Amino acid sequence: MSTQAYEITPKDKNFIGWHLAVAIIALAIGSLFGPLQAFEHAGWDLYKYLNPLIKSYYQGLTLHGVLNALVWTTFFITGFLTFTVIYGFKRPLKYPTLNLIGFLLMVVGLVLAAIPILLNEATVLFTFYPPMKANWAFYVGLTLVVVGSWVEGWGFFYTYAAWRKENPGVRTPFIAFGSIITMLLWQIATIGIAVDMLTMLIPWSLGLLPGVDPQLSRTYFWFTGHPLVYFWLLPAYISWYAMLPKQVGGKMFSDSLARFAFWLFLILSVPLGFHHQYVDPGVPPAWKFIHAMLTFSVFFPSMLTAFTVVASLEYGARQNGGKGMFGWMRALPWSNPSVAAQLLAGLLFFFGGIGGLANASYNVNLVLHNTAFVPGHFHLTVGTGVTLTFIGISYWLIPYLTGKKLWQPKWAVAQAWLWFVGMIIFSNSMHILGLLGAPRRTPLNLAPYIPAEWNSRLFQVGIGGAILFVSGAIYLTVVAATFWSKQPATEKVEVPVAEALQDPALGPAWLDRWTPWVVATLALIVLAYGPMLFDLIKNIALTSPGFRVW
Amino acid sequence: MSAQEKMHVDRYERNWMVASAILLVLFATAVSIAAFGMGIQVPAPEQRVDPRTVASDPNSPWSNPGIREVVAGEKYDVYILAKTWQYLPAEISIPAGASVTFYVTSMDVQHGFKIQDTNVNFQVVPGQVSKLTVKFTKAGTYNFICTEYCGAAHAAMAGKIVVSP
Amino acid sequence: MAKKNSNDEFRPQGTVAILVIFVITLVVLWGSIYLILLGRGGTV
Ligand code: HEM
Ligand SMILES: [Cu+2]
Repeated sequence: MSTQAYEITPKDKNFIGWHLAVAIIALAIGSLFGPLQAFEHAGWDLYKYLNPLIKSYYQGLTLHGVLNALVWTTFFITGFLTFTVIYGFKRPLKYPTLNLIGFLLMVVGLVLAAIPILLNEATVLFTFYPPMKANWAFYVGLTLVVVGSWVEGWGFFYTYAAWRKENPGVRTPFIAFGSIITMLLWQIATIGIAVDMLTMLIPWSLGLLPGVDPQLSRTYFWFTGHPLVYFWLLPAYISWYAMLPKQVGGKMFSDSLARFAFWLFLILSVPLGFHHQYVDPGVPPAWKFIHAMLTFSVFFPSMLTAFTVVASLEYGARQNGGKGMFGWMRALPWSNPSVAAQLLAGLLFFFGGIGGLANASYNVNLVLHNTAFVPGHFHLTVGTGVTLTFIGISYWLIPYLTGKKLWQPKWAVAQAWLWFVGMIIFSNSMHILGLLGAPRRTPLNLAPYIPAEWNSRLFQVGIGGAILFVSGAIYLTVVAATFWSKQPATEKVEVPVAEALQDPALGPAWLDRWTPWVVATLALIVLAYGPMLFDLIKNIALTSPGFRVW
Repeated sequence: MSAQEKMHVDRYERNWMVASAILLVLFATAVSIAAFGMGIQVPAPEQRVDPRTVASDPNSPWSNPGIREVVAGEKYDVYILAKTWQYLPAEISIPAGASVTFYVTSMDVQHGFKIQDTNVNFQVVPGQVSKLTVKFTKAGTYNFICTEYCGAAHAAMAGKIVVSP
Repeated sequence: MAKKNSNDEFRPQGTVAILVIFVITLVVLWGSIYLILLGRGGTV
């Protein structure tokens, strides 16, 4: 893989920058509510001061879930992948206007969805389970965000096709390869939510349908909901596999296995959504069990990722003189905020993986379903593994895009450590509370069944939230100060793209063929979802009218 | 430079892949034993109902929710109606040692149903009936709580089972 | 260092050490939740 520098045009930099701007503003507003929720658990109620702007814990939680899990991620990812596609293929987008249209659709959708949420007309949380009924603009807005991201994805596909025409027989550069797979996964995964929105929720919210089928809607939702987490994760994996090694002075340990893992994620991440519905009444245990086994199999490429990424880091550290069984870790450039953030993100992600495997283990879910364990878990995955990695990426990407020097890298390093420490305290206590039986999505201080023994854990949730609040504030300060700084960068920002230890062109050709993998993906979805979905659709009962219960 | 057909895999990494696969098989075995050997199972489709009439239709058990004795002191069925923001009934008395099957449905939005310190924990979906069984061996009070956001007073939605010795 | 050989020379022993610790943690944590499941009894 040739890694010689390629200069992105100022116009494209600008375009990518707009994605990041929306993403970071969403994170800023969304994350504000995280600490408030944590404080509520600890017994410090700040919501009364937010009234009438924010009317309830649940309205805040809706903002938190939608802005963090859906908006921050989607906008950052489409922006970052625009970068990796252009830089990976070393060519501009084939149809920049198409991508611009996609982006604008996403922005319009975001505004449309935000209005009812802010007016307390869509306090349905980011999962919007019917028959709780939000204002129609909420559903239409979210749908437009998804459609916009599709259109951006098509723009990537056209760019890939154009590159392929110009470079017949050349191995697809890894960062571009990973980006295309991520977007392909996204297009397939979002079919579920698109059908849900278009055939049930939107017509129902507009008064064109008398009711919905909540069980069918849940099934559509989780068809998309699980692969959604891989849509968040794969861009972070692109950075861990192919960029972080360069930043630590190393190489990709195995280009072939990295590509293989991405293919496995594509194939395996959709046909296992029932693992979010283990305790649903309307799905037979046999199907749940099949999806449980498929879920175990998607853990495999994650284990593969763990090995390849850590080995790439170890290789780099040893190149820098690192010694010993564990001592090599000290030779990693911890003073580089981008590296520190991603290493700490990866470290906590290990624990996120453990919690995820527990959630996914069929009947073990009886212990964990909808308890505080679940948010404890996913703040380690999307809330840290992904978010802190994206933050780390932004520590080089923002200087690259703006041509400005990162403001106070030491503060940025401190930010990463504070996130790490705060998250350990927060999520450890959330996990334990969940095992004790504390429900999620609940202002626990108002719950009548909380025993006094939980108080010390609830207090720790608050402490973790406070540390995270400080970390988030530092991040925003660093970003804002960099953006508005008058100091141009003294040296050019180097884009970290790692070479592979072994020439990727020597890898097997089937790693760069698309048809067999895509056919396998679709076939497995039909097998794992077809019969059950057919059954639910055949017996559809639109017997639930809408309710506004907040 | 021609591409090989086989992938180059480092020896250590190959061992890791094998170990990961074995580990996953072990976990799968453990959950299977708990499910099929020890009767710790997830809910299965029980029946469908019409949420608009389930609370009022005289033929529906949820028009008169509560306990049904099947075998005195040993076996009971309990029909619980979930609605914003309460369970009907909110309190149930059971003798210790009895095996109790819960049939829960909702007449409005989705709810949750989790009996603390037991493995009964499921989603309550309008139009469907969630069913699990639990044997209360120890006397005491067991809270059941709503684990799904169901609106303004969701946090207050709970009930209790009093198990008498 | 020649590109081809570097892979043969580098033995990721530190990686293996970290991952062994990870697997032990995984088994212990997963196992303790599994034991909670068994302790809370049957559902059929
Ligand atoms: C700033 C630090 C953060 C803190 C202190 C925090 C705190 C919390 C708390 C306490 C909850 C549980 C609320 C409940 O179940 O009642 C929660 C839910 C959630 N958080 Fe965070 N969070 C933070 C950042 C993030 C980030 C960065 C993300 C994702 C990118 C995220 C995604 C979510 C999601 C998706 C939920 C679930 C919402 C729902 O149940 O509807 N959080 N957060
Ligand atoms: Cu409820």
